[in-house]
Amino acid sequence: MVHYCVAKLTGKEKGLQKRLYSGGLKRGVALWFIAASALSCFSTAALSQDASKTAPLKVLRMAFSTAETGFDPPRVSDLYSNTINEAIFERLLTYDYLARPARLAPMTAVALPEITDGGKTYTFRLRHGIFFTPDPAFGGKPRELTAADYVYSFKRVLDPKIRSPWAFLLEGRIIGLDALAEAAKKTGKFDYDTEIEGLKASDRYTLQVRLSEPDYNFNYVAAHTPFSAMAREVVEKYGEDTMAHPIGTGPYVLKQWTRGARIVLEKNPDYRGMIWNFAASEEGDAELISEMQGKRLPLIDRVEISIIEEEQSAWLAFDRKELDFSGVGTFREKVFDEKGELKPEWRAQGVKLMRAIDPEVTYTFFNFRDPIVGGFEKEKLALRRAIIMAYNRDEEIDVIRKGQAIPATMPIPVGVVGHDPRYQPLNTYNPALANQLLDAFGFKKGKDGFRTMPNGAPLLLKYATGTTALERQFNELWKKAMDSISVRIAFQPGKFADLIKASMACQLQMWGSAWTADYPDGDNFMQLLYGPNIGQNNHGCYESKAFDAFYEASLKLPDSPERNRLFLEMTRQMEVDGAWVLGVSRERNMLIRPWVIGYKKHPILSATWIYLDIDPAKKP
Amino acid sequence: MTEAISSLSSTAISETHGDGKRRGFWSLACQRFRDDGVGMASLIIVAAFFVVVLLSMSGMAASGWNKEVAIHDAPPDLWGLLKPAAPTAMKSLAQRVEEETKNAAQAQSKEALPPLTVTDPLAETLQALNASEETSTAKKEKRASLPFGGDRWGRDVLSKTIKGTQTSVIVGLSAALLATFLGTLLGALAGYYGGRTDDALNWFYSVFSAIPYLLLILAVAAVLQQRGVTTVILILGLTGWAGVFRLIRAEYIKHRGRDYVQAAHAFGVPDRRILFFHILPNVSHVVLVNISILAVGFIKAEVILSFLGFGVKVDEVSWGSMLNDAQSELILGRWWELVAAGGAMALLVTAFSLLTDAMRDALDPKIQRTS
Repeated sequence: MVHYCVAKLTGKEKGLQKRLYSGGLKRGVALWFIAASALSCFSTAALSQDASKTAPLKVLRMAFSTAETGFDPPRVSDLYSNTINEAIFERLLTYDYLARPARLAPMTAVALPEITDGGKTYTFRLRHGIFFTPDPAFGGKPRELTAADYVYSFKRVLDPKIRSPWAFLLEGRIIGLDALAEAAKKTGKFDYDTEIEGLKASDRYTLQVRLSEPDYNFNYVAAHTPFSAMAREVVEKYGEDTMAHPIGTGPYVLKQWTRGARIVLEKNPDYRGMIWNFAASEEGDAELISEMQGKRLPLIDRVEISIIEEEQSAWLAFDRKELDFSGVGTFREKVFDEKGELKPEWRAQGVKLMRAIDPEVTYTFFNFRDPIVGGFEKEKLALRRAIIMAYNRDEEIDVIRKGQAIPATMPIPVGVVGHDPRYQPLNTYNPALANQLLDAFGFKKGKDGFRTMPNGAPLLLKYATGTTALERQFNELWKKAMDSISVRIAFQPGKFADLIKASMACQLQMWGSAWTADYPDGDNFMQLLYGPNIGQNNHGCYESKAFDAFYEASLKLPDSPERNRLFLEMTRQMEVDGAWVLGVSRERNMLIRPWVIGYKKHPILSATWIYLDIDPAKKP
Repeated sequence: MTEAISSLSSTAISETHGDGKRRGFWSLACQRFRDDGVGMASLIIVAAFFVVVLLSMSGMAASGWNKEVAIHDAPPDLWGLLKPAAPTAMKSLAQRVEEETKNAAQAQSKEALPPLTVTDPLAETLQALNASEETSTAKKEKRASLPFGGDRWGRDVLSKTIKGTQTSVIVGLSAALLATFLGTLLGALAGYYGGRTDDALNWFYSVFSAIPYLLLILAVAAVLQQRGVTTVILILGLTGWAGVFRLIRAEYIKHRGRDYVQAAHAFGVPDRRILFFHILPNVSHVVLVNISILAVGFIKAEVILSFLGFGVKVDEVSWGSMLNDAQSELILGRWWELVAAGGAMALLVTAFSLLTDAMRDALDPKIQRTS
C-alpha cells in the first residue's frame, strides 16, 4: 500500500496524515463518546425494526484507528477508505479467501484472463448480468456492468485532474494511454472517447489490455481496489463530489457517513450474491469450511465502523463488547500467557485469536543525494553500513514492538513471492565492527568524543521523526545506537504529511517508513529502490545503475527461479550500497468475539466481512 | 541624597510593632513567615529538592541515569521491602516464525543459494577487520530489580527521577525568572510612563493573552524547531510574562502618584533610578510572589510540553518525558515510573504552592491578621 508511519503499531498508511491534521488525542476520545452513544441509539433502532422480521439483523461493529478520506477508489490511498471501497466496488479479479500464499481468483471476470503475446496481451471476459446499484444518474433504468466501464475506469487513473496516487501502476505500461494523459495535461481535459490500442472493449463483455512490455504482474493491478469499475454517468453527475457518492456493483452500499467519525454500510439488495466455496490451504481451515461452506453471501446485514484514534479507547470498547474485533497492539500482556496462548479469561468468553505476520517491511532510508550520508564513494558506503551495523534491531523487537515482529532479512518480506529464507543479510548488528570500519575510513573522533567526516567536516545525522511516545522510543534507540559508534544524531520533528512530501522531494536525510504489499509479489517492494521511481515511492532517492539493471531485467520475467535470483541480487546490491536499515515485519494479533463466524486474516484483502457470518444466539 | 531617598522609600511601608520599636518591612515579614508552620514545612521540602538538584548538577547523584543497569522493565523492590515477581518470558508468534524460518533455511541449505554476482567494494576491508580483532559481544550482568524499578530500557527510575527533578526545577525557575523579568520591565515602563508607551505595551500584552496559551507554546516550539532545556525555558519565559506585566503595571500606576516618587522627581532624580531603585523595592513582594507562582506553573507546563513531545531532547529526561513513557505501560501494570515522576512532581508543586501562599501572607502588609 502506501508509506505509513513506521512507529504506529496498529495504524496504517497515509490515513495517518489526516490523523495528524485532525487534532489528536482528545478529539479522538470525544469522537468515540459520540460514536458510542450514537451506537447505542442505533442498536435500539435496529431492534425495533426487527420486530417485523423473523431473523434479527446481523450487525458487525468495528473500529478504524485512523479517519477515512473518501470513497472514490483511484483518488484515495489510505487503507481505511480502500477497505470501504473494496466492499462497494468490484475489480475484474480478487483473491481467494483461504488460499495462502494469496492466490488470485476471478471477481467480475468469468475466469483469470488469457495472457497471450508473451505476456503483452491480457483478455478478460466479464460475467453477464452484473448490475450497478440504482442511482438517479442512471435515469431509473437498470445499468449493467460492461467492459467499457473498465476501459473508462482504467483511463481515469491517469486523468491528471484526479491526481491518482496509483498512476505509477499504469504509467508507461498500456499502449497509447500515456499519450492520452500527455494530451490531457496540455488541454486540461482528458479525452475519454478516443479509443486507444492498449485498452479496448472488443465486445460488450470482453476487455482487452495490450501492454508495451511483457509484464506478468498486470493481474495484480486488475485485482487492486483503485482499479475497480465505476460508472461514467455517476462520476460525471457528481463531479467533484465523487468521494461521497460511491456507486458500485459490490455486496455493500454506503448507508451513512459522518466524516472522520462513523461509516455505516448495508447489504446491497441488488447484489447478485455468491456462494461461500473455498478450499482449505492451512491447518484450521477445515473448521471455517464446516461452518461456512455453501452459505449464500453476503450474510452480514449491516457494518458499523467507528473511527477511534486512541488505541486504548478502542481496546476498552472491545472489552465492553461494543466492538466485535480488536487488534492486540500494546496490550499484549493482558491477552497472552507466558506460552503466548490466550489467557483463560479470554478463552472463557469464547474470544478467538487470529495471528498473522503482515506482508510488510519497515525500513529507515538514507538520502543518497544528501551531502553527508549520500553518494557512492567507498567512505560513504562505510559510513552508511556502519550506521546499519550499529542499530540494534533485536532490541526494537523486544522492547518497542513487545516481541510482535520478526526481523526483515530482505526488502521482500515473508509471505511475498521472491522472499528467500536462505538469504543471509550482510550488515548484521555489530557495533564493534562498525567502529572499526569507521576508524579504517578516517572518521576520526574529535575533542568532544564524536566523529567527524574524513576531511574534518562535522558529521551530524538528522533523523526525521514525529512527537508520539512511540516515536520517542525509536529516537532513544537510535540515539543509543549512534552513541555506540560516536556519531552525533539530531531528531527533527515534523508532521507525517509534511515528511512524506519532503521525502518525495529528496529533502530528508534519514527517516523510518514502512511498506505493505499492494499485491503479494516482490516487485511491489523492489520498486521502492528503483531509480526512476524517485519522486514517487523511492524516498531514499537511491539510484544505483546495477540495481536498476537487475530490476529492469526482473520485470521481463514471470515468477521463476531466475527472477528470484534477480531479487536476491537486488537485495545484495542494496545491502552493499547501504541503502536501507532493514526493519521488521509486524505480527498482527486479532481478537474476535465468539459470535463472528468465518474470520481469517487475509494478507491483501481487508474488507473480509463479506465472507463472514454472525450467530445472534451467541450475542449477549 | 541617594541614601535619604532610599530610607524614605523603605519607611513608606514600615510599621510600628507591638513593643513600640519600629521594625523594617523584611524583618517583620520573616517573623510572620517563621510563625507559619505549614510555610516552614514546605520551605524545608522545597529546600530538599534544591539540594537534590545541586547534587545532580554537580554529578554527585544520578550521573549514570542513562545507563542500562537492570533488565527491561525491572520491577521495584524498595530496598527489599517489596518482593517482585520473577519476570516471565513470552514466546510470540514472531519468535516461532523466526525459528521456523531458520529451520526451513537449514533444511533448504542443501540446495544452496544461487551464486550472486554483486561485488562488495568493502569486502576486503571488512575481512581484514574481522580477522584482526575478535568482535566481542559479551553481555553485562543486569539486575533483576531496582529500588524504584527500571524503565523499558532497564534504566534506574530513581536516577531518572532525580535527573528529571533537575530539569524540571531548572526549567521552572529559569523560565519564571525570565518571564518575571520581562513582565516587570515592561509593566514598569507601561505603568510609570502611561500614555503612548502604555497603549503600545497594553496592545502588545492583549494580543499575547488573546492567543490560547497552549497554542502559543506549540507555535513557538514549532518555530524554534530545536528541542532541549534551553528551548523550553525560552518558550515558557517568552509566553508567560503577561500576568506579571498586568500586576506590575497596576502597582506602578499606584506608586507613581505617591509622595516619595513626587519628591524624587522634585530632586531631579533620573527616571530609570526612580523606576528601578525607588519604586521597585516597594513592589518587590509582588515580584517575589509571582516568581514562585510562575515557577509552579512552569514546572507543570514543562511536564505537559514534554508529555506532548515538544519538550526535552531524547538524551535528556524530565518528569514530563517520564510520564509520557509511562502512559502506555500503565495498563500493563507497570506503575512505578508514573508513581515516581508523578509523586515527585506532586510533592514539589504542592510544597512550592504552599510556600508561595505563606510568602504572600508574610509579605503583604495590608493583609488582615488575627492574633
